[in-house]
Formats: sequence, C-alpha cells, structure tokens
Amino acid sequence: MRLLLVEDEIDIQSFLRTSLEEAGYEVETAADGKTAELLAVDGSFDILIVDLGLPDIDGISLILKLRQLGVTAPVLILSARRSVDDRVRGLEQGGDDYLTKPFALAELLARLRNLLRRNSPPASEATRLRVLDLELDLLRREATRSGQILQLTQQEFVLLEYLCRNAGRVVTRSMILDKVWGMRIQPDTNVVDVHIYRLRGKVDGPGQKPLIRTLRGVGYVLKDR
Amino acid sequence: MSSKTAKPVLHSAAWRISLWATLAFACGAFLVFVVLHQFVANDIQRRSDAWLSGEVEVLGDVAEQTPKNALYDRVVGEVAELASKEVPNRDSSAGASNDSVFFLQTGGDGALMLWVGAGSGLANLKAIQANRILPGTPMDLRVPGFGVPFRVAATRIADGSYIYLGLSERDELRVLRNLRARFILLWLLLVLLGFGIVFFTTHRMLSLVRRITEAASRIGHSDLSARVPTSARQDEVGSLALTLNHMLDRIENSMHQLHTITDSLAHDLRSPLTAIRGKLEVSLSAGSSADQAEPIVAVIEELDRLTEFLNKSLDVAEAKADALRLTRCEVDLDELLRIMIDLYEPSMSERGLQIRLQSGGPLKIEADAALIHRMIANLFDNELKHLPAASTINLLLRADESGASLILEDDGPGFDLEVLPHLFERRVKGRKSNGHGLGLAFIDAVVRAHGGAVSAGNREQSGARLTVTLPRISR
Repeated sequence: MRLLLVEDEIDIQSFLRTSLEEAGYEVETAADGKTAELLAVDGSFDILIVDLGLPDIDGISLILKLRQLGVTAPVLILSARRSVDDRVRGLEQGGDDYLTKPFALAELLARLRNLLRRNSPPASEATRLRVLDLELDLLRREATRSGQILQLTQQEFVLLEYLCRNAGRVVTRSMILDKVWGMRIQPDTNVVDVHIYRLRGKVDGPGQKPLIRTLRGVGYVLKDR
Repeated sequence: MSSKTAKPVLHSAAWRISLWATLAFACGAFLVFVVLHQFVANDIQRRSDAWLSGEVEVLGDVAEQTPKNALYDRVVGEVAELASKEVPNRDSSAGASNDSVFFLQTGGDGALMLWVGAGSGLANLKAIQANRILPGTPMDLRVPGFGVPFRVAATRIADGSYIYLGLSERDELRVLRNLRARFILLWLLLVLLGFGIVFFTTHRMLSLVRRITEAASRIGHSDLSARVPTSARQDEVGSLALTLNHMLDRIENSMHQLHTITDSLAHDLRSPLTAIRGKLEVSLSAGSSADQAEPIVAVIEELDRLTEFLNKSLDVAEAKADALRLTRCEVDLDELLRIMIDLYEPSMSERGLQIRLQSGGPLKIEADAALIHRMIANLFDNELKHLPAASTINLLLRADESGASLILEDDGPGFDLEVLPHLFERRVKGRKSNGHGLGLAFIDAVVRAHGGAVSAGNREQSGARLTVTLPRISR
C-alpha cells in the first residue's frame, strides 16, 4: 500500500513514518502543499494523510485541488484545530475521514484500514464471524465459545462483534465509543473499561484461554493467535 | 425574543401613539369649537337684540304719532308686518307665512290692544305678564304652544300703553345647529385623517425599528456576519441601525480574535502533544518489558487527560465569551440519554449507584450533537465521581413549550454550601473533589451556547438537583 503523508511538523512526520512503515505501508512524505501536489499527481497512492495546518496552503484547499487534478485516493485529514470545519464534514461525507490531534496510533491505523476497505469493492457480507474458538452468528445475534452459548446483552454483542472484526488489532477506547456507541467523547471515568471487564467475564470463562487483552494506555485487542 | 410572528396591529406601539395623538387633537379641536360656538351664539344674539331694540323704538314712535282713529290698527299693523320681513338670520325657504315675529300692544291696564302675528296672541300676552317683561334690554320668553322661545323687547309710549316686539329664536338656533352639524362632520373627517397620517408615519418608522429588532435577534451566537437593515434617512432610527452595526462589527472583530487565539493555542499545544504521544507509543510498541512499559503507559494516560482538559478549557473560555461555534443537527435527547445510560450503567452499578430515566418518548431538538454528547458525559462523570455508594440518580426528561428540560436528582450529599453560589465558574470544586473543576463550567457553557440555562441546588431531603433547559431550536 502506497501512502502519502503530508505533514509539516518534522517530529510528527518522523514517528508517523516509523509506525506506518511498521504497519506495512510504503510511505512518501511531503512537508508542504506544493511538494504534496507534485508527488500526488505523479505517484499513484492508495491513500493520503493530510494535515490541515500546512505552511503554504490550507489542507482542505489542497485536497480539493488534488481532487480536481484527478487524485481519487481516500484522504485521512489530521486536524489540530478545535472545531471541525464544515468543509471537513463535507469531505467526510464524500468518503474521507478526519482525526483530531493528538491521536492514538491504533486509531490512525484503524481509520486508514477503514478508508481502504471503503474504497475496495465490498466483500460479500459474512453472517458468521470466527476468532479461534469464539463464534458469532450475526443473524441470530448469538455468540458461542467452544460451542457454549454466551449470555450477552445486545450492547455486549455489538461490542464483541466490533472486537472480532478487528481481531488481532488494537482498538482504542475512543474507537469503541465511536463505533459501538456512536459518539466522539472522552469520558473522565473508566466507562469503557467496565464494559470490557464485564464482557471479558462472560467470554473468558475460568480455565479458558483469555482472548480479550488490555494494552494499558493504548486500548484492547482480541487475540486471534 | 422571537418577534418573527407579526404582532397584531392593536398591540403595536404605532396604534397606541396614533390613538393618544388623535385623542389629544380631537379634544383640542373640540375645545376650540366650543369657544367659537359660544362667540358666534353671543354675536347672533347681540345682533337680534340690536334689531329688536331698534324696531321696537320705531314701532313705538309710529304708534305714538299715529292718531288713535279707525286707521290706527291698520297703520301700526302694516308697519309691524313690514318690520317682520326684515328679520335677521331669516330662513328664506320658510315662505311668506310669518310666525317668527309677533307685535303686541297692551293698554295701560294690561289688556290686549293690538296683535300682529300667528294665533290670537293671548298666550303670548299671558306669558309676557307672567314674566314681567319690562322696557330695556330684550329678554327670553317661553310661550306655551311654541317649541322655541322668543326674544322680546318692550317699550312704553306716551299714552301709557306698552309695545312688545317678539322674535322667535328659531332661526338663530337653526344657524347654530347648522354650524354644529358642519363642525361635527369636519371634525370627524379631520380626526380620521389625522389618525391615519399619524398611524401611517409612526407605523412606518416603528416597522423599521421592528425590522432592526428582528434582524438583531437573528444574529445569534455563531452567525455574527449578518447586519441589521439600515435606512437612508439620517434620523434617530437610521442612526440606531448604524450604531448597532458598528457595535456588531466590533463584536465580530473581537470574536474573530478570540477564535484565532484559541485556535492557535490549541494548535500550538496539540502539535507537540501529538509528537510526544506518538513517540511514546512507538517506544511502547518496540517490545519493551512490562517494567519499562508501565511508566510510559502512565504518561500516555496523563497526556490524554491533559488533552481533554485543554479541550474543555478552551471550550469553556469560548463559551464564557459567547463564542462557542455550534454545528447544529437534529438530536433526540431521549435516545441520546438511553445510549448514555447504557454506556454508564455498568460503571455505575459497579460503584453501587442506580440510574433511572423518566421520559415521555422521543424529544428532538436542534443542537450540536458532539457538544451535547460531551455535556451529558460530563454530567454522568460528575455523578460517578462524587456520589457515595448506594445512591440513586433520577433523570427526568420532558418537553415543555420552549423545548426540553432535563432534571437530574440524586440522593447523595449534595453540593458543598460554600461552592453552591459559584458552581458554574471555572476551577470551582468541592473540598473532596479531585477533578479540574471544569465539569460544571463546561456543562453550563454548552447549555448557554445553545440558548438554554442550567440551575443547580440541593434538594430539601438531601442530594443535589441539576436542571438543564434547552430550547427546541437554538439561536
């Protein structure tokens, strides 16, 4: 996957490059709009990360310009601004996504994956999800572990489904809040942790291999190995 | 403050002003007329008195000089008849018949000697004797059988007989009646015209004021670019509009500056935070041991708290200056609260708290969804952090005429009495609180930015009560 990172802050650029390459992306960087334009038009990128605060051009103007020049790759917008611009919302509706700084790397990677999936032809929607001995029947809203039916509430099922879909990858608390509860908030309290804790109590029974792992300061991961 | 619906005319200031102005004008005009009427009436009376006095003198002379023979009656009668033809204010349409003047001569003994006029003259004589009409100034005389009184002048001639000349006041009254009728008609026309003119001009002027008010009330928290309509005229209303627009220019300018400051502050702090957090995460994922990871994780968590604190501080700062930017959409408060309760319920029951919602079903308002989400999360975080175990939180959501009201009640210890008056200020927190003291200030900020209000207090029984009202459509 070829990725163009447009970011003028050297510190941010360098750590992003490191972790993106670690995640398997082939990364090109640009520190200003002009370079970004040249690179984006020539090289065929699968995805772009664009910071809004560029030295020479406003990030959104750059994206609109690139769109006019025929660049169709999806864009993840990084914003250090406080309010989400109406134009960002417009782009979001057009298939792009935004992330406010500072962010968790796991969330950045998850959003990139989402954007790429959105742009690839939709795979036939599975009705069953399977992670090791955990199985989810999406039609009957039923979860089983080693054949044993798990007594889950509606909300717990949605949460487990989200973890299963991202099995093996880190999901952060704010991603869970966004995808499962549909809100971008940052509670002062450990509300998400308690949900995970309860879910874990039902999924990882005594004597079973624990599947849901907590990565402190980062988020959670459902083990698939 | 909604003045979008047109007010009924009867309640408008223009209507009241025109009514009072017209009343003053009508009263004034009426007073002037009363004075004029009196003057005219007096003048008419003076003229007819002068005529009567003159005629009665002439008739007296004629009666004196005419010998008292058979022709006397005829001569004096003819002269009297002639005189009656020259009556002042005479209605020419009345024809030849003469009932407006009478001539009467009595002998020294009071017996009727000569009568010229309508009827037998006996009733007139009786009335004259009853009223003791004496020579000198003319007097009013009411005669039974006649609708209008007579004005009667008398004179005494040498042979001891009296001559009376009476003139009906009918013509005089008719003139005055005509005058009055014409005045009333003209007066009504003038009053109506005056009312119309005053109403039209004040209505025009005040409708300009109303348009300014409407425009000013539309200029809400976020849309400061609009201006009130100005008029080309250089009058008070015109300068009011200009002054308002100048004021809006200044407000917009300072608002813009505030946004620039908070934006650049946010940007300048967030960029290094992003770099620090990113680097820490990279070093975390670089396969460090649990002992090494622990402090890094703690720092990342601190950073996240710092970020949220920064966001809230800036939001509260902007909201205090009425400059919070809203992106409105439809929000169902009932649904939102249910999702939020679903999210918070496990944490609450973990701490032995119970939460209950009473709601009358879907309740949609226009609001900034993200801010409302954060506001409710703050509300719940607050309860979660401060309530002792085994407390109950009751939420009551209901629609009222202006929008929605949410009442949160708990049976905990309530607010510290010393912080209660300053609850919504920044950095104010109870003694046992370990937060930033921003939670309630943030809630207040968000609600006020939507044009709503928050009030907080302690319940009588013990426990806190927080009331949030939000308008259906925020300004």
